[in-house]
Amino acid sequence: MTLSLHSEFSAPDRAVVQVGGRLDAMTFGELDEAMLALLPRLADGGTVVIDLAHLEYVSSAGLRSFAKIRKSMRARGGHTLLLNPQPQVRKVFDIVKAVPVNEVFASTQELDAYLDRMQRQITEGDDSDI
Amino acid sequence: MALRSIASRTALWVLVGSTVVLAAIGALLLSLTRAQILQHTHHEAAALAANAGSQIQARIDRVAVSAQMLATIVATRQDDAEPLLRDTLSTNLDMDGLAAVFTPSPDPSDAPMYSPFVRRLDDGSLTSRNLSQDSNPYWNSNWFLGGLGCASGCWQRPFLSLSRHRQVINYSVAIERNGHPTGIINADVTLDWLHNILSSLDKPAGAYAFVLDSDGNYLAHDNPVLVGKRGSPALLNALASDQAGTMRLRVAQNPRARGPVWVYSAPIEGTRWRLGLVVPEYQTYASVRRIFMLSLALGLLALLGVSLITLLTIRRTMAPLGVLADRAEHVARGELDFELPPARRPDEVGRLTQSFDHMRRELALHLEDLARVAREKQRLASELEIAHQIQLGLLPNAHYLDAVCAQFELHAALRPARAVGGDLYSYFMLDPQRFFVMVGDVSDKGIPAALFMAQTITLAKALAPRAQTPQNLLHLLNLELCRGNDSCMFVTLLCGLLDTGSGDLVLASAGHEPPILCGRGAPQLLEFPTGAVLGLYEDSTYPEHRLRLRTGETLLMYTDGITEASDHEQQMYGIERTVESLVQVPSTATTAGYIERLLGDVDHFVADAAQADDITLLALTWHGTGVPATGIDIDNRLPDVFVALDRCEQLLQEAKVPASLHGDVRLVLEELMVNTVEYGYPDGRPGRIRLLLQSRPGATTIELIDDGIAFDPLQSAAPTLTGDLADREQIGGLGIHLARTMTDEMRYTRDAQGNHLLLRFTYPTEDGSSP
Repeated sequence: MTLSLHSEFSAPDRAVVQVGGRLDAMTFGELDEAMLALLPRLADGGTVVIDLAHLEYVSSAGLRSFAKIRKSMRARGGHTLLLNPQPQVRKVFDIVKAVPVNEVFASTQELDAYLDRMQRQITEGDDSDI
Repeated sequence: MALRSIASRTALWVLVGSTVVLAAIGALLLSLTRAQILQHTHHEAAALAANAGSQIQARIDRVAVSAQMLATIVATRQDDAEPLLRDTLSTNLDMDGLAAVFTPSPDPSDAPMYSPFVRRLDDGSLTSRNLSQDSNPYWNSNWFLGGLGCASGCWQRPFLSLSRHRQVINYSVAIERNGHPTGIINADVTLDWLHNILSSLDKPAGAYAFVLDSDGNYLAHDNPVLVGKRGSPALLNALASDQAGTMRLRVAQNPRARGPVWVYSAPIEGTRWRLGLVVPEYQTYASVRRIFMLSLALGLLALLGVSLITLLTIRRTMAPLGVLADRAEHVARGELDFELPPARRPDEVGRLTQSFDHMRRELALHLEDLARVAREKQRLASELEIAHQIQLGLLPNAHYLDAVCAQFELHAALRPARAVGGDLYSYFMLDPQRFFVMVGDVSDKGIPAALFMAQTITLAKALAPRAQTPQNLLHLLNLELCRGNDSCMFVTLLCGLLDTGSGDLVLASAGHEPPILCGRGAPQLLEFPTGAVLGLYEDSTYPEHRLRLRTGETLLMYTDGITEASDHEQQMYGIERTVESLVQVPSTATTAGYIERLLGDVDHFVADAAQADDITLLALTWHGTGVPATGIDIDNRLPDVFVALDRCEQLLQEAKVPASLHGDVRLVLEELMVNTVEYGYPDGRPGRIRLLLQSRPGATTIELIDDGIAFDPLQSAAPTLTGDLADREQIGGLGIHLARTMTDEMRYTRDAQGNHLLLRFTYPTEDGSSP
């Protein structure tokens, strides 16, 4: 089973990337390439949501890819949110403390609620973090 | 008892001995004195008797001379006879009467002759008469006829004069004229003077005297009763014999004398009389006896005195001995603190006292010494006992059964020859997969060996996790033991590392006896090259020997206490007998069965000879089926890694390893192999990576072997985890961290083949948690 990728723009400043299969030293290149193509298209300050529902396996190589994405998003004032990691992947994340806990969401509802809240903050011009 | 004391006994013996000596000497002296006294008495008595005889003779001679003179004168002057008689009688008081009688004329017509008889009356006046006028004419009487024959005078028989009431004896002398007797002069002599002479004799007390006449009658006797009586036949016979002068009569005639008597007699010249002096024998010896009794009494008194002095002297001398005897009893009771009598003189007792005192002091010192030695010994014994316990504590249990999957079983026995010994055995799980076992024998015996043994066993346990392999362990152990080993002690050691999954066994030996493999066919002595003993040469190396135990096989490790066990003839048990003994063990025997059999045979061989060396036996039996490991070999290229990962996952599925583990295994293997491929060959040379996978109930182990540069993932530092990977400048070390975290156990060794990394994954239990 290899890596499967699917990406879509739900808004100009929001992209959802669905990653499935195995993300390892063999396949991380595919993700890196895809993101290299995708991220520039996203508006500054945008949000990329990586849906991990179908990702069965991740190794350190995959983690490095995620780190690269977050780094490049952060450079542009954007956010990287991880959605729905499966137990195996979640375990790996936990071990290496890969991402802040508040950027990982177990379901779409949680994510939507978070996004709405963020939206409001921007609208109200309140820059303070929660 | 008084006789219990030496003083009393000595005094008694002195008394008895002296008495005997004194008695003997006394008896001898008495007999000598007796003879002398007897002789003296004889002499005296004989002299006395002779003297008395002379006195009597003198008196008699006077009578005889007077009578003869008268006879001569009267022969011529017959008519003057009466005045002559009167004159003579008046001057001679011994005579009582005098008569001059004449033979009558043959012619009867002639006028009768005047035959005067003058007699002294009691008042001393003289009276005379003419005997011719007597109615009873004298010329026919015996005394006249007898007297005519006595020309030179003779004594007639005594007779009792009725007129004068006394004993009278006549002396008759014939008056001769012209050679013919014409008459006789007859002198009457009373015997009173004889009595007087006898009684006036200076006789010894109890003695008496007598005078016998010619007929054997007593003329005179101190006992008047006997006068006139005849002497006893014994006396008369004795007197008639040759030794008439001195003789002994058993019984005296005189009733006044008792017992035997001595009779001394002397003849009275001029008569046929005999004077006798009788001395009773007891009288003779009376003085001797008296002196003897006196001497005896004095002697006894002296002896008593001597005994008393002896008693007192010895008592005084021996008094310290009594005290010493008393003190000796104190010594026997162990009481040594007492007073001794002062040693007054340097004699035997003084020396004894000094020696006793010396002995007492020496004994006290000795006892103290002894007590100290005993305490020391006790302390040593108790320390030895503690050491024994500690040493036993260093040894693991004699029985070990692989509790997880009962793949193997171990039995051991250690018999020290003394309280503590130098033999050792040990075993432990080096990790959940591998079991370490060793048997060793320290040179020498006793406490030094025990200390060295303790050092060896402790070091071995401490170094084993670092060493990981038997040969490494021996090497490290050797270096440690060589350090500061000035006493040049050494230990032989046989190490084994058992892979509890496969039954693979790696052995390495440091000069130890080769182990024996039993259980399938004949016992086989595993001879393989060994290294030097531990503790002597720092540069020793220890070759390894590999073998795989098959089910039912038992590896027997032992020390030379078995092969060198000796019987009374100093014959050793030897390896041949050892193998022979093991042949007898049935293949179905338990692990303990081997030990029991061999120990039993050795005991039987040795019998009751003393055990010279420690004996250690260890039997390791493999019960496992030995799941074979599946190997995957790849080149050091990334695609190959993923081929291997897929193959591995497939194997895990086939082995029905829980699915939840598949991801972990894959992740760990990917991280490690990718790491190896990327960094293990910096010179870009081609390499080989080998995966050995073994799945058993409960856990899966995977050995990862590569020939890249040395790399121990366990030694790499853990990454700093900030909570956001995006914060990190360099993303590295995560893979190793992941691998380490996700394996239940990871172990690294490096050998000639390269890096060995042993990974172990334990299956989650029912409730989902890891064990």
